This record gives sequence, structure tokens and C-alpha cells, in this order.
Amino acid sequence: MLVPDTLQGAVMLSVIDFFLSFIVIAGIGLVLAAFPYLGRLVKVEDKDLIED
Amino acid sequence: MLDQIILFMDALLKGTGLQEIWWGNFVMIAVGCAMIYLAIVKKYEPFLLVGIGFACIVANVPGSDLIKPGGLFNYAYQGVNLLIVPPLIFLGVGAMTDFGPMIANPRLVILGAGAHLGIFVALIGAKLWGFSIQEAGAIGIIGGADGPMAIFVTVTLAPHLLPQISVAAYSYMALMPLIQPPVMRLLTTKEERLIRMQAPRQVTKLEKIAFPIVMAVIVNLFFPPVAPLITMLMLGNLLKEVGVVDRLSRTAANGIMNVVTIILTVAIGSTMSADAFLTVKTLQIVFLGLVAFVFGTASGVITAKIMNLFMEKKINPLIGSAGIASVPIAARVSHVVANQEDRNNYLIYQAMGPNLAGVFGTAISGGIMLALLGAG
Repeated sequence: MLVPDTLQGAVMLSVIDFFLSFIVIAGIGLVLAAFPYLGRLVKVEDKDLIED
Repeated sequence: MLDQIILFMDALLKGTGLQEIWWGNFVMIAVGCAMIYLAIVKKYEPFLLVGIGFACIVANVPGSDLIKPGGLFNYAYQGVNLLIVPPLIFLGVGAMTDFGPMIANPRLVILGAGAHLGIFVALIGAKLWGFSIQEAGAIGIIGGADGPMAIFVTVTLAPHLLPQISVAAYSYMALMPLIQPPVMRLLTTKEERLIRMQAPRQVTKLEKIAFPIVMAVIVNLFFPPVAPLITMLMLGNLLKEVGVVDRLSRTAANGIMNVVTIILTVAIGSTMSADAFLTVKTLQIVFLGLVAFVFGTASGVITAKIMNLFMEKKINPLIGSAGIASVPIAARVSHVVANQEDRNNYLIYQAMGPNLAGVFGTAISGGIMLALLGAG
């Protein structure tokens, strides 16, 4: 186990986890921001895909 | 002759559970009945509480063989313990979920991380209370408000705490309409609660099909410890969105989902025997779970308010609390609280964005926790 079983370990884990979560989820946000450009990459009309 | 009858009766009596029963069993049977009552009368998560409550009652009748090795409830528990059931639940959830609101407004996904402060407050609180770091991690994940993820992390980090943590997670998810609104109102002004958000853009079918594939790649690449759950969530969603496997999509969303819900609820309820459940640790975990939900709600709202400092078009901070996950309960709470201030303000679609991002936020937190704590 990488994190020591102490209060300091718990605080360390929390700080790392909280901020890393922000960074990763911001990264996911960036990927999603690129989604509208998918249409330029792949030429598929919505009418060609089966709707729900 | 009489002696023989008494001997037979004594042998029969010893074969029943009567000799092992104690007051704790009665308390837990009452808890089981209360769960069924809440499900039927108050409509609090009936799909979960009926099964959990019933299995809890059965688990506290000492003669029952169902929860012993070889019993059907025990096999159900093995399905959870072997991490078969939680990914299947996610398959069904994926097949039922429209990720359009999350794709439509990528800026709001940050709320999926912002609303998870509760995880870490509970983690540190648990450590202060003397739990081991692995137990504290499992307790903290209650604040992610994601039942299958809480089970997944707990089975790996602290399997002996599974009954307490799963019950706390699912109970608080059911009680979110009571827990969240006071915190949301406390941290927002009336003007903020009245903010109307603009309608999000239309998401194309191509984007909806690409989403589960892209997310499955990202999660498997960066968070292998939680990949089984998110991968199955994305598979279910892909089945829904492609539109050419309607039969499979309906099976995942209905048949499979219903079967695994019965297995999951029975498995959780069957672990709630009085011997394991009536401890000080249970009370501590239940309290820490509440703390996690309150802080998660608060941090989501505060994150939304911070975002408003930098955004030209303001967002309604009430949607911040939806980032806690628990789809779609938290989004519904955001909508209802806003709707109480302005009957023409419909926030549900906007709140679904952070709400769905919260699932990924919890997965990321759980993944990091498993990567750092799971190896020991």
C-alpha cells in the first residue's frame, strides 16, 4: 500500500484525489468540447442513423 | 413414552432457530419492516428497499439456511462479493441513460468533481475515528452517492464493512430529497435560485454513439481499477444509442436490470444480521455517510458559485449539488428546489449534465483510491 495508515496519509490521499479528480474531469470536459467537430471528421447525417 | 416425546420435542426445538434468537434480531427485524414501510408508504426507492428489507428480516431469523453457505441468499451475496453484480447493474443503467445533457454542456462536467468533497471529509473523519485507511477510503466513497461504486470499492478495500456501507449509501440516496434542499438553500440567495439557464444545444446521434466508445477508452486507459463498472455502463449506453440492437438494449435495461436488482437487494439485506450490524462502528459509518452527503452537496453548490465568478452567462448554483451523482435523484432535487422559487424554471435537463458527470467523478475518485490503497 502506497499511502501510510495515518491521519497524515488520509489527508494526503484526500488532497491528491480531490485535485486529480478535478484535472481528469476537466480533461473529459475538453474531450466533450471537441465532440461538435465530430461531424466534420465523419460525414454521417442524423437521418442515416436510427433514432430512438 | 412421555420421556420419549419430551426427547423428540427437545430435539425438534434444537433444530429450530429459537435457541439462538436474541434482542438484536428483533431490532433488525424492525429495521427490515421499517424499510418495507418506507418503500410502500413513502415511496423511498421501493425497488431497493423492498428486497433489502425482506432479506434483512430473513437474515435475522436464526434458523434460516438461506444466508448460510449453500443458501440462495448466500449465492446472491457471492455475486456481489465476486464483483459480478455491480458491473451488471451499470450495464442496465447505461442502457437506460441519455448522456446528451452531459455532452451538450461540457463546462458543467467540472461540477461532477466539485460535488465530491464529502468523500474526503468522511475519509478524514473515519481516520480520526480510528478506522484503518482502507476502511476510511471505503466509508468515504459513500459520499460519491453511487451504490454500485460504493459496493465495488468496499469489496476491494474493506469487505467486512459491506453491509454498513451499502445500507448507508442506498439509504442516503433514497433520502436525498430530504438531506440536500436545506443545504442548497443555506448556501444560495433567492436571486441565485431564480437564475434561468439557456437551453442546451442539440446533441447529434453521432456524438451519442461516439461518447460511450471514447469514455470506455479513457477510463480503461487511465483508471483500470474501476474500468469494469464504467466499461459496462458504456456498453449498455452504446447498445441504447446505436439503434440497431434494440432487443439487447431493452433486455439490458429491463430483464437484466430487474434480475440483478433482486440479486443485489437480497445480497445486501442478507448481510444485515444483528451480530454484524448492531455495533458502534455501524453508527459511526451511518453518521459519516450523512456528513459526506452534506459536504458533497455543499461543495457542489459552492463550486457552481465559484464558476459563476468567471462565466458571462451565469449558471444556477442549485445544479451544483447534482454533481454528487445518484442519477437522477440529485438532478430532480435541483429541479424541484429551483421550481419552488419559480414555477416556470425547469432545470432538470441542465442538472442532468453535472449529475451524469458525477458518476464519472465518483469513478475517478474510487479509481484513485483503489490504485493507492488497494494493493495492500
